[in-house]
Amino acid sequence: MARTVIDPLTRIEGHLRVEVEVTDGVVSDAWVTGELWRGMELILENRHPEDAFWVSQRICGVCPISHSHASAQSTEQALGIKIPNNARIIRNLIEAAQYLHSHILWFYTLAALDFVNPVNALSANIADTYALAQAAGTRVADFGAVQKRLQGFVENGQFSIFSGHTGWWGVGEEKHPGYALPPELDLIATAHYLEALELQGVAAQIISVMSGKFPHHMTSIPGGTAFVPTEQKLDDILFRFTRVKEFIDTALVPDTLAIAPFILDAATYGGGCKNFLSWGVFEAEDMDPYSRSLPRGFIEGAKGLSVMEVGPEMVTEDVEHSWYDSPTGLNPAKGETAAKFTSLDTNDKYSWGKAARLNGLPAEVGPLSRMLVAYVKGVPEVTKLIDGALGVLSKAAGAKLGPEVLLSLLGRIAARNLEAAVVAEWSIAWVLELIGAIKGGSSDYFVTERGSDGDGAGLWEAPRGSVGHWMTVKNGKIAKYQIVAPTTWDIAPRNADGVRGPMEEALVGTPCVDAERPLEPMRVAHSFDP
Amino acid sequence: MAQEAHSALYDLLAVRGVSRRDFLKYCGSVAAVLGLSETMAPQIAAAMEGAPKLMPALWINGGSCTGCTESIAQVDTPDVASIVLDYLSFNYFETIMAAAGEFAEKQITDTVAAGGYIVVYEGSVMTGQEGNTLLINGKTGIQILEEVAANAAAIIAVGSCAVDGGWVMAHPNPAGATGVQAWLNKKGIKTPVVNLPTCPVNPEWIVAMVVQLLLVADRDPAKFLEITPMVTRTVNDKVTNADVDLLFPKGIFGQTIHDNCPRRGHFENGEFVTRLGSAEEAMGYCLYKVGCKGPQTYTNCPIVRWNSRASWCVESGAPCIGCGGLNWVDNNAPFLMRMSDMQLGGSLGNVQVGTAAAVVGGVAAAALVAHGLGMKAAGRVGDGPPMETAKAYDRKRGAKKGGDK
Repeated sequence: MARTVIDPLTRIEGHLRVEVEVTDGVVSDAWVTGELWRGMELILENRHPEDAFWVSQRICGVCPISHSHASAQSTEQALGIKIPNNARIIRNLIEAAQYLHSHILWFYTLAALDFVNPVNALSANIADTYALAQAAGTRVADFGAVQKRLQGFVENGQFSIFSGHTGWWGVGEEKHPGYALPPELDLIATAHYLEALELQGVAAQIISVMSGKFPHHMTSIPGGTAFVPTEQKLDDILFRFTRVKEFIDTALVPDTLAIAPFILDAATYGGGCKNFLSWGVFEAEDMDPYSRSLPRGFIEGAKGLSVMEVGPEMVTEDVEHSWYDSPTGLNPAKGETAAKFTSLDTNDKYSWGKAARLNGLPAEVGPLSRMLVAYVKGVPEVTKLIDGALGVLSKAAGAKLGPEVLLSLLGRIAARNLEAAVVAEWSIAWVLELIGAIKGGSSDYFVTERGSDGDGAGLWEAPRGSVGHWMTVKNGKIAKYQIVAPTTWDIAPRNADGVRGPMEEALVGTPCVDAERPLEPMRVAHSFDP
Repeated sequence: MAQEAHSALYDLLAVRGVSRRDFLKYCGSVAAVLGLSETMAPQIAAAMEGAPKLMPALWINGGSCTGCTESIAQVDTPDVASIVLDYLSFNYFETIMAAAGEFAEKQITDTVAAGGYIVVYEGSVMTGQEGNTLLINGKTGIQILEEVAANAAAIIAVGSCAVDGGWVMAHPNPAGATGVQAWLNKKGIKTPVVNLPTCPVNPEWIVAMVVQLLLVADRDPAKFLEITPMVTRTVNDKVTNADVDLLFPKGIFGQTIHDNCPRRGHFENGEFVTRLGSAEEAMGYCLYKVGCKGPQTYTNCPIVRWNSRASWCVESGAPCIGCGGLNWVDNNAPFLMRMSDMQLGGSLGNVQVGTAAAVVGGVAAAALVAHGLGMKAAGRVGDGPPMETAKAYDRKRGAKKGGDK
């Protein structure tokens, strides 16, 4: 039994520390620490409710769109605003562009290096690489040129961000056994890693056209949108969505299915608390959260794969193991935030994160939760893709695998990349829906009329999971503001009863073959896209 | 030496598969970002050809949202720009580096010991709870800043958080956030700091600063400060309780957004958007009356634009919120309210809208022309925006912030 600490956990948004206890090569306990507190909620108090749209999104530079949309919904609920239909479609499109951007960036730039060894790609046979790409149905590139380029990086000593990599991947005898891809697949993935750098940017440009810039955007102001599309701008959006969709269909999804057979053991661990929450995302015309394209719902693991309805009143935040001395177990509508650092002690307080709970239970949020809720509810685009992926996995495993296999590290990775394909398909349809609405004479984008007091709870989904913004407005000013971010759910510490948060629970049971290089625990932590 | 020097650039170009022609073209756009003539492109290229080696760099995340890191991934023409960025060898870059844990930490200690590196700092300096509002590997964020800053050749503070604390230091500044320069002053660390505000930073500006670094013959970052014209702005920092002089590259932060705004003509004609998302917006009218902070925000956003030049805030229909200003949240919120004490650039100081148009025949006109406002002064005297009602409202209210209700 030994403790291993990963600090900092790199390739994530923000600052995270992971401590695991390893017994006989398997993680037997885990503690996850959020290492930063800035006090956004207190800064928003006493400001105009509309201003929260701009300020609150700056809590996260990776999912600002979703935070701002939750904030705008909260303001609109509090002040009794119903946004015009055109604004609803435009917000869905901005949100969709962020999903595509985020999922491409996560898989290739942030997570791929946990599985892909670019140095190994140097020994790939080029002819075999083309054959493999064809067999896997994935996009071909000039693989010879990519290999030369890699060679150039190595010979120039231009490791830059790959500095220290040999420590992780190892070379020769030192090679970490977790890197198990054939060199040809390493080369394909590296070629797509380089291409993905451009494509995530193309997705972000869609946000720029509709909302000024990314990260941190401008137009989804409470009341609707400030963006009025012109023919030129609709064209700018549509061609970029089409390009991004092509990359997802010909690289992201087939790469995932090509890599999966080599990491099938990842289907046997990393499942976690097995409770799954989705607030629902992509608003339907009736503005009902249960009719969102990816619907609202909660799956309680102990009761099997069935979906129940959820509401904001079921949320509490515990702080027994967090650096706050405000009361524990409060609903965010009555939430308080009084920071008080003591010391980092895994037996006592050890995180700036509060422990978010749904009906008292830890809940995993993110693409896996959304895909499971949508699958159980029978959203056709989702069931088709997931059943297809299960077919590929069953073939590789030589046994029929059901959706339960998704409750794992492998499932969490696959769910994210399949979700990208679903959202890409919808995004094109939504551009056409907007064009249709405009042609039909719809020209309202913004409602100025509004009340001055009220309560709101904007519940939405960021690419990395459920986001909720609660606000109380009194005399035209924000009296109380509370945010429960995706990472608040997933990296939650223990509560008073000692029940672990979702990431901590997912780490338990994860193999750790080399305590010096805890590769498998790092993969599990990364799979939450924290 | 010359032989060696040439091969560094050509290897980089070859490895990336970029033609020399594309590279020169890009050098021209960098010149534009810096406010230089595009005829500077060959000099910029020559300077890069003469770059003998990579310069080690550390990208340090303080109290950040990682938005500035996200932003640098959105750089224009990624392959060419990344060649420029490759002149910096980022030995530590938390968000994207392959290594983690102590393997990553070792990169910092090794780089600091070797010296001759630059630091790019993203996020606020977190002093609250005795610095424990930011912890990394058993150290506080301020400990890490002090460790890497003291021996650095220069520091680039990217994003408004690193400049003066950004939104994190907005009232009541619960986590004790401040900027890099303020904290280094307090600790007596003399390493020069260049500030690149906005939230997040525009990646083209970082590239431009790296080019400036390369333009100095011996790659001495201290000298790069000397050849880069700067403007100094002073803030009163409440955390360290001192006045702090901040340096901003003048080519980028010398003029206001209003100075270069493509909607400026509508402002002069008195054509305003008074309701967001309206028909006036579709016609590209001026956003001043719905709160645009362009007149008081010193950045070249309208020229550089965002996300590989796809668009920028005002073009998408949103009023500028002034995220490149100092203490920008407290100074600029409420964001949808018109600012009555608008400024039209340095030498004019504070003027009321309307005043500028009314006296435009005199000294002010000269100043406006000197500022390159693109204002067609002739024939416009007395034709300024019809702001009398608004001005009367401001006078009656006597408040700093007006509001068209």
